[in-house]
Amino acid sequence: MTTGIAVDGLWKVFGPKGERLVGSPDADRPRRELEADTGCVVAMRDIRFAVSPGEVFVVMGLSGSGKSTLVRCLTRLIEPTAGTISIGDIDVTAADTDALLELRRHRVSMVFQHFGLLPHRTLVDNVGFGLELRGVDKSERRQAAERVLELVGLGGMGQSKPDQLSGGQQQRVGLARALATDPDVMLFDEPFSALDPLIRRDMQDEVCRLHADVGKTMVFITHDLAEALRLGDRIAIMRDGRFVQVGTPEEVVGSPADDYVRNFVRDVPRSHVISVGAIMAPHSPGDYVTTVVSTTKVRDVVGHVASSDLPVQVVDESGVPVGSVDRLAVLEVIAGDDIHEIRAAASS
Amino acid sequence: MPRGLVPVVVFAIVGLLLAQTGSEVPEGFDIGLTDWMQDRYKWTVLNDDHWMFTRFFHPIGDALGSTYDFVLWVLRALRWPGVLAAAAAIGARTGGWKAAVAGSMLLFGCGVIADWDNTMITLALMIVAVVVSLLIGLPLGIWSARNVQVESILRSVLDTAQVMPVYVYLMPIVVFFGIQAPAVIVATVIFAVPPAVRITNLGLRSVPVVTEEVGRSFGSTRGQLLRKVQLPMARPTILLGLNQVIMMAFGVVVIAALVGSGGLGQDVLTGLQKIDVGKSFAPGLALVFAAIALDRISTGQRTVSVRRRFSMPTWWERPRVALTVLFGAVIGVGVAATLLGADTFPESFTVDISQSVSDAAKWVTDHLATGVPVVGGTKSISDFFLLNFLNPMQEAFIDAAWWVVVLVIAAIGWASGGWRLGVLCGGCFVAIASLGIAADRESVWDKAMITLAQVLVVVAVSVVIALPLGLAAGRSDRLNRFLRPVLDTAQALPQFAYIVPVLFLFPPGRTPGIFASIIYAVPPCIRLTSLGLREVPVGPREAATSFGATPRQEMMRVQIPLALRSVMLGINQTVLMALSMVIIAALVGAGGLGLEAVFGLTKKQVGRGLTGGLAIVLLAIVLDRVTQAWGRDRQRSAADRHR
Repeated sequence: MTTGIAVDGLWKVFGPKGERLVGSPDADRPRRELEADTGCVVAMRDIRFAVSPGEVFVVMGLSGSGKSTLVRCLTRLIEPTAGTISIGDIDVTAADTDALLELRRHRVSMVFQHFGLLPHRTLVDNVGFGLELRGVDKSERRQAAERVLELVGLGGMGQSKPDQLSGGQQQRVGLARALATDPDVMLFDEPFSALDPLIRRDMQDEVCRLHADVGKTMVFITHDLAEALRLGDRIAIMRDGRFVQVGTPEEVVGSPADDYVRNFVRDVPRSHVISVGAIMAPHSPGDYVTTVVSTTKVRDVVGHVASSDLPVQVVDESGVPVGSVDRLAVLEVIAGDDIHEIRAAASS
Repeated sequence: MPRGLVPVVVFAIVGLLLAQTGSEVPEGFDIGLTDWMQDRYKWTVLNDDHWMFTRFFHPIGDALGSTYDFVLWVLRALRWPGVLAAAAAIGARTGGWKAAVAGSMLLFGCGVIADWDNTMITLALMIVAVVVSLLIGLPLGIWSARNVQVESILRSVLDTAQVMPVYVYLMPIVVFFGIQAPAVIVATVIFAVPPAVRITNLGLRSVPVVTEEVGRSFGSTRGQLLRKVQLPMARPTILLGLNQVIMMAFGVVVIAALVGSGGLGQDVLTGLQKIDVGKSFAPGLALVFAAIALDRISTGQRTVSVRRRFSMPTWWERPRVALTVLFGAVIGVGVAATLLGADTFPESFTVDISQSVSDAAKWVTDHLATGVPVVGGTKSISDFFLLNFLNPMQEAFIDAAWWVVVLVIAAIGWASGGWRLGVLCGGCFVAIASLGIAADRESVWDKAMITLAQVLVVVAVSVVIALPLGLAAGRSDRLNRFLRPVLDTAQALPQFAYIVPVLFLFPPGRTPGIFASIIYAVPPCIRLTSLGLREVPVGPREAATSFGATPRQEMMRVQIPLALRSVMLGINQTVLMALSMVIIAALVGAGGLGLEAVFGLTKKQVGRGLTGGLAIVLLAIVLDRVTQAWGRDRQRSAADRHR
């Protein structure tokens, strides 16, 4: 069974009597000023979003933007100050201690930035940790742990201790531990930011593969835009405790909501993200060098428009022509911000 | 008025007022504490059917007493082979064959050089005391790790407790628990609980936040979090704490013998009081053996790799089976020993070393006391030291008008840590002055000055020795490698172990106490200094070098300033260790406040003992706070400069 998440009006204010700041104009004052006056820090303000079952929802932001607080509030590792969270049919914010334990033991699991492996346990016992808390007996949870370790590529290493592994391998264990409880929802708190770039890529592939295999709902926190674009079905950009934009990678890169987001996505190779469907001109009959579906990324038609003066025809999933893309449109995407100069140069 | 003038004016006014009293402590200052406490003590003796005793102290004492009796009965019933087998079995379980061999051989050694039954008495006392300390210390440590308020309350209590030398506790304990085993156990427990609490708390708090979050995120209850995550991760630290608890407990044995515990401690004490090196050496050595044996078999550390290399039979991996087998084996050995009539430790195994030790001591006194070329001999060194350092200092303190001393102390306190500390220091010294007359017509004040002079000399000499060594060890890996085992051993030995060898060399009196205190106080100072230097992060040091600092510049401008806090902590430790030796030093003739405490304990002069103890505590508070303030102040100003 897969499960969605719905979050509405979620606030977190650290500090004494934080609840009085919720929804008040004070909450919009600059952070430093507010902290000096009230001793409070508003970490999250009025967050609302919904994640559909099986979706990968990425929250991206710089350090201090509140993204780690957000993911911890989802299972109430940190108590939210106001708002509601529901995961599947469970109202998390209203849950009592037992219901919360039930939720954490069966429905949701988490992968941590610094792995958080227990150094005194073997890999098998680390991976079986969640099952152990649940009360599963020893032999059964060992079997389950071995199976999951196999899945993340660490088969046969079950009797090692965490300190015998490299960083990448340790996080595979972290991943296995989160998978072992067979949760509906997996939460990732910057899981790969402590890893080398190449290993990070491997691990991202691993997550993509796992998502394809097991189809869990995932909430993924990161400060790395490339990671967000690679993994996310949708991305939320977070700044100073609020979402400034929520959208598909294409929407975020193609039409940034404000200067902050624009600055962020400036260096992204836009042709890798934007699909031809987003830039096509209306369909008109004529000669085409080739035909592609509208979800094709722009970079995949570069070769065609470079080898021929003719445009590329765009069709929808059922093969019906819906538009066309010419060389100039492709160049516009590649050149990004300097688009007006290109137009001027082309028309002169 | 400029800020700088405030202290000057305050001191001038207070000085003028105090000067009216004359240079001696005025008689009117005596608040009569000694007599008052002696009267209270008499009351407790006459009223031991009061509910406070029948409902509270007697039950506790009886429970401890019967536990002790039971443990001793078991140890005796096992006979000596059974005890050795038990030590080996426990050692094998916790730390593999090495711990097993070490534990049983060391205990065997106790039997060889000292009296076996006395060893068992001491062992029984220690086992009960350590177990009770853990039963109290672990839960308190856990509680304080989970509750900030509890932690802050406990911390202030523990800080005070740590400053107090153990003999200060003894007197009230005697009042409430009488003499014999229960009093000794209570004293030991009070002394050994603080490290247990502190280290449990430290261990639990040093568990990284993320692992706790992991536990919670997978749905741990609070109990599961503690059992499955926090305690296992804090285990190495807590085992280290167990080691400290054991060492602390053994450190108290000899002093506790003052209230009549019997056992090895009593043997050492009798020897010390007669200044008989031979008599005190063998039981002293046996005590050290027993301490190390208990430590090895209980903590079983440093043996993880050993366990891996030597594969144990498969039943070993199953705790229940292994425990049953070992338990059965121990009982079997005990029964066999009883049937074979091995009731007492065989005399053919024992070696009486007291005579040869006495001979050696006599030889040293005869040959090394005077007339050794260049150094002049131990008696000459001792005399030189007394005449040139200790006596002038002691006289200066005693001869100075008492209010001058108070003002100087207050000024030092003010300069070190602000006006509050100044008031505290001055107040403590005024309180010492108000304690009145000690038994031999000298005032407690004069005795305190004698002790203060001795402690300051010890601290000064120790720091002069320890700082250069510590700095050198912090810089040179080779020296550090050489010093470390020496320091480790030194730290593991209880206080009394230092006084016996010194008695070889120096005639009784103040010198052996002072030299023993110095030897006792130097190691922690070296250790903390070198540790401080080594903990300075590589970053700033590399930065300094890359800007062209010579090694000397780098050390003076980067390493030492950054290590200052740790160095100051070392000096603070030196002060505390010097204070804790005061009573042992008094046993071999150092006089001062320590003698008051000894007298009070041995002659049932509870009033005097308590007054002497209180004076030591007041001294300790002043010295501890001032040296602590040095470390803190440097740190703060360094932090300010960074801003």
